[in-house]
Parts: sequence; structure tokens; C-alpha cells
Amino acid sequence: MELKKEKLLGFYETMMTIRAFESKAVELFADNQLPGFVHLYLGEEAVATGVCASLTNKDYITSTHRGHGHLIAKGGKVDLMMAELFGKATGYCKGKGGSMHIADVELGILGANGIVGAGQPISVGAAFACKYKKTDSVAVCFFGDAASNRGTFHEALNMATIWNLPVVFICENNLYGISNCQRDHMKVTDVADRASAYGIPGVVVDGNDVIAVYEAAAEAIERARRGDGPSLVECKTWRWRGHFEGDPGAYKDPEEQAAWLKKDPIPRFEQKLVELKYATKSELEEIKAKVEKQIDAAILFSQNSPYPNPEDALTDVYAE
Amino acid sequence: MGQVGIIANPASGKDIRRLVAYGTIFDNQEKVNIVRRLILSLAASGIKKIVYMPEYYGIVPGAVDSICGRHRPDIEIVQADICLSGTQIDSFYAAEVMARCGVACIVTLGGDGTNRMVAKGCRNVPLLPISTGTNNVFPTMIESTIAGLAAGVVAQGLVTGAPAINPSKKLIIYKNGEPVDIALVDAVVLNDTFIGSRAVWDAERITKIVVTRGEPHNIGISAIAGNLAPVTPYDDLGLVIEIGPGNLQVRAPIAPGLNEQIPVRNYHYINVGEVIEVAAPCVIALDGEREVEVRPGDDAQIKLTFEGPKVIKAEEVLRAAVAKGYSYRNM
Repeated sequence: MELKKEKLLGFYETMMTIRAFESKAVELFADNQLPGFVHLYLGEEAVATGVCASLTNKDYITSTHRGHGHLIAKGGKVDLMMAELFGKATGYCKGKGGSMHIADVELGILGANGIVGAGQPISVGAAFACKYKKTDSVAVCFFGDAASNRGTFHEALNMATIWNLPVVFICENNLYGISNCQRDHMKVTDVADRASAYGIPGVVVDGNDVIAVYEAAAEAIERARRGDGPSLVECKTWRWRGHFEGDPGAYKDPEEQAAWLKKDPIPRFEQKLVELKYATKSELEEIKAKVEKQIDAAILFSQNSPYPNPEDALTDVYAE
Repeated sequence: MGQVGIIANPASGKDIRRLVAYGTIFDNQEKVNIVRRLILSLAASGIKKIVYMPEYYGIVPGAVDSICGRHRPDIEIVQADICLSGTQIDSFYAAEVMARCGVACIVTLGGDGTNRMVAKGCRNVPLLPISTGTNNVFPTMIESTIAGLAAGVVAQGLVTGAPAINPSKKLIIYKNGEPVDIALVDAVVLNDTFIGSRAVWDAERITKIVVTRGEPHNIGISAIAGNLAPVTPYDDLGLVIEIGPGNLQVRAPIAPGLNEQIPVRNYHYINVGEVIEVAAPCVIALDGEREVEVRPGDDAQIKLTFEGPKVIKAEEVLRAAVAKGYSYRNM
């Protein structure tokens, strides 16, 4: 698969934007500036980046409670996202949804979701709409390993298969469902194995290698786009933080954590870019400084934004 | 009584070729089923000890646990003492440990890639490779009940040497003068820069192929050789194929379900010991998986040898064993 410098540096910028956004969220949450829960995507940046690189604004994604990375990779505006985390009226949900409900339908982002596994049937609905309307758009569903134990997963795969819908299921297997290690909550070790029960392809890739994710997702998305139906791509990865900020993650084996930290997708990619002469270290530093500046600006924007008015509590709740 | 090693790769059969081709879907529960039958046959043939590679799925323990009471074998089953990484390197370390602790043969479950890793560590211990991967030229589609019986015969020393146990060829990859890796079947030079998702499926990226073997009934990149100028596993030869516009088009099954027309610029046989130069930059795929990155300025070569692992041919083993009265007795 041929990859040009511009595209590769685009991957890098997206991963760095997610990293910078989430790193600041750690500090802001600890500083009591964020009123709601945040579930951070640190360590998993290569998955959202590699997958969304093959999508356009006409394609749809459904996200999870750990959705910041998906939203950024799909083109979500970091100032509106950050304002939403702050609970401010300028945020994506006017400050009333918080981290787990950010959506931007114009960008095809059908929402983060506080309910584990809830995005799966939504993605199937979106894919049905794409097929019904005869567009060449596709839907991509991000979900975690534990979400594949939910009934919604099985119903969604079954329906997607029956109707041969243009949907790609992306399992971000970070090996933990809240505090439960995968081996304690499911018999199989590769969620991709579950695809065969529905007669669709299931593949496993290194979720900390953005190129590997990109290659697999690009093929799966193209397959869906040309009408060949759903597939499941399992990306093995690791969340650095606890399930949510405030969870110390004491249930994780420190040795396992240390081993995964060594597989950080960003330095791995940086090294390749430099060794293969796609970029110099100073070019990468420039990108890093640029995205950090954007995130700082987003924080300032959020801090200076007003809270929603109490009288607006029930607006945007019911259709008019 | 000899010991037998089992290396069952839980990651085989799950790569991107299920998306871009029609690769077999081999879930790990099926590998448990295969190993269950393997263990029962090893026990039936008199083997008293099995050493297995630990891995994240627990294929061998799962197989043992699921054998029902009346068939439960009287056999010691121990885990190879390796530090589990959850990557392909585990197969290499497990093979090394097994060779060191004196197993008489190793049964592998995987594809060409799995056997490549095992071959790096198994030294002189013969392999009985059962196919559960994607492009399977080195391992054989064989019922594990039969594989277990053959492995049992070999482990007890009842059958030795050719035609039951045969040497195999190997390619050694050199980078900047140092051997960095090996291949058992093919080394494919690609005009890629990243290893990425590892598998090879896009023929347009291929510039050169070096094979130890290739026959018309093979699948994978070596099938191009098989459909052009076949080389058997036993010939003292390999084949080099330059891919690109020329006078030849070869139709070959380069992945499951994918019969492609491959343009061939030229090709020639090579002798054992010959070295082929590789132009940088490129990526070299070994037995179907992108493995070696050759950066600008690197110097790379591929050498054909006959130093691959010894391979057990189950049907020949059992034929020889039966001729020696292994399976019957006079009443």
C-alpha cells in the first residue's frame, strides 16, 4: 500500500492532537476543572487515526464512552469538544452532555455513548440508511472487547450480515472491561473469532501500529463501500489510564503495563518517519508544538465560555 | 519413550488476508479440537510426555481438559519454560526450550510463518507441521489423529531418515553483512516502506521473489514459481523471479481464492549456496509476512541453503512403521 509523506504526517498530527487533548484532560480533571467523568484514550491513538483516515464526512462513526480519539480523528473540533468537557454553553452539546455524548452529525459523528455496546445497533442503522439511500457511504462502529459480550454486539452483527450492510466493526481490544481482564470475562482471546459465527471476515492487527491499522481498516472500509458487506477488525491495544480518571487502575499487572508502555504507538511511528526520511525530528517537533498550541487555545476558549443557563435545561431534549 | 513437543500458534489464521482474499477462518477452539485428537494419538502410540508452548489462549490445556474421563490419557503434559510475550517470538523460544530438553519431534499448528519461527529454534529436532495458517506450503493439511500417530512413531525411534524424515531448504536474509532472518519457502521483495499489517497480498508491490520450492498445487507467492518452473522441496535448486512487464504472464493462486495474472520479467534457477542481491530500499516478506525493512543505504542479500529443519512426512512414517509391525500383533 503506497503511503505519501503528506498522509503519513497527517497520521502523526492526528495522533499528536489526540495525545495532547487527552494529556491536558488528565491535568484539567485533576484540577477539578472538568465537572463530569472522562474516559481517556491515551495509548490507543493509532486505532482511531488509522481507521478514520479512510473515511470522509459522508461516512458515519459510532463511538464509545472513550470517544475523544474517535471524534478528533473524524474531524471533530477540539475547542467545541473541550468546551463540552468543561460543561460550557459553547460545547458540542451546549454543555449539557459532557464527554460521553459528543456528536457532530455534519461530520458523520453519530455520538460518543455512555452505554457500553450501544453504538453497535446505531452503526447498523446508519449503514442501513447508506444502503437504502444508495449512497456509497459506510458506517464504522468502534467498541471495546467487553462490549462484544453484549447482546447488542451479536444482534448488530447478525442484522448487518443478513442485510449485507456497509458497516465495519472496529474492536479496540485494550484487554480490560473496566477492571475485568479479558481472560476473566470471555472465553475467546481474539474477538475477531466471533466474526466467523456470522459468516463475515474477522482479522486481528496490532492496534499500536498506525500503518497496520490503516491497511486493515482501509481494506475493510473499501470492501464495505463496494457492497461486499460487513467485517470485523480487532485492534490489540492498551489504555494507559484507569477506566476513567480517578480510577488508579490497580487491577493491572505493573509488568504488563510497563511492557505495553514500551509499545507506545507515537514514538514507534516517529522513529519510522525519521528513519525512512519522511520527516526530520524538527518537522515532527513543529507538528507537536502546533497541536499543543491548538489544545491550549481550546482550553482558553472553554475557560472563557459561559455555563448554560438553568432555564435551558430542557431545551434540545425533546423534538419540537 | 520419547517426548513430543507441541507448538500451537493461537495467532495463526487471523491476518488481513481474510479481508483481501478468502483465507481460512481458523478460530482457536478448532485448534483445541485438533490438539485434542493429536494428544489422544500420541498417547495411543505410547508417548508418556508432551512439552507444549504456553500461549494466551491455552490451546493445549484446553484440549487436555476437554478429553472425557474414559479417554483421558496417562501422559505427562508440561509447559515449556518460556517468558511469554504474546508475539511470534514465543514460538522460537518454545522450540529452543524443547530442543534443549530433548523432545524427539515437534508438532506445529500454524502456517508458513509459524514454522519459520519454530525453525529458527528447533535445531536438529524434526518438525511435523499441521496446517492452520493462511498460505500453507510448508505445513500439511493432515488430520491430527494421523499426525499424532506418526509423531509417536518418530519419537520412539521406530522410523528414522528419508523418505520419512527429510531435510529442507532455507533462505537466509543478510542485511549489512549480518544474517538477520530466514524463510522456509519464499522471500518476497516489495517496494513498500512499512511492515504494517505484515501480510502480502498486493502483487503490484512485488519486485522480486526467491523461493526454496514452488509447485503447481501450492498457494501463496511461491505458487508463481510453481506455475512457471516448479521446484520440489527435494531439488538442490531454488528459483528467482523478477516481477514486472515482460513476455510472460503467469496465473497463480497467490492467496486463498485469488488467482492472479502476474507479469514476469525474467526468472532463473539458483543453486544451493548462491546469493541474490536485493536493492534498497524495500521490505522483504518471509513466508508470507513482511518482516525485514531494508532502508536506503542498507546492503541486503538472500542466500539459498539446504539447512532448514528436518520435516516428518507422516504417510511415509506410518507406512514404514506398519512394515515393521508397529500396528499389529499375532494372536
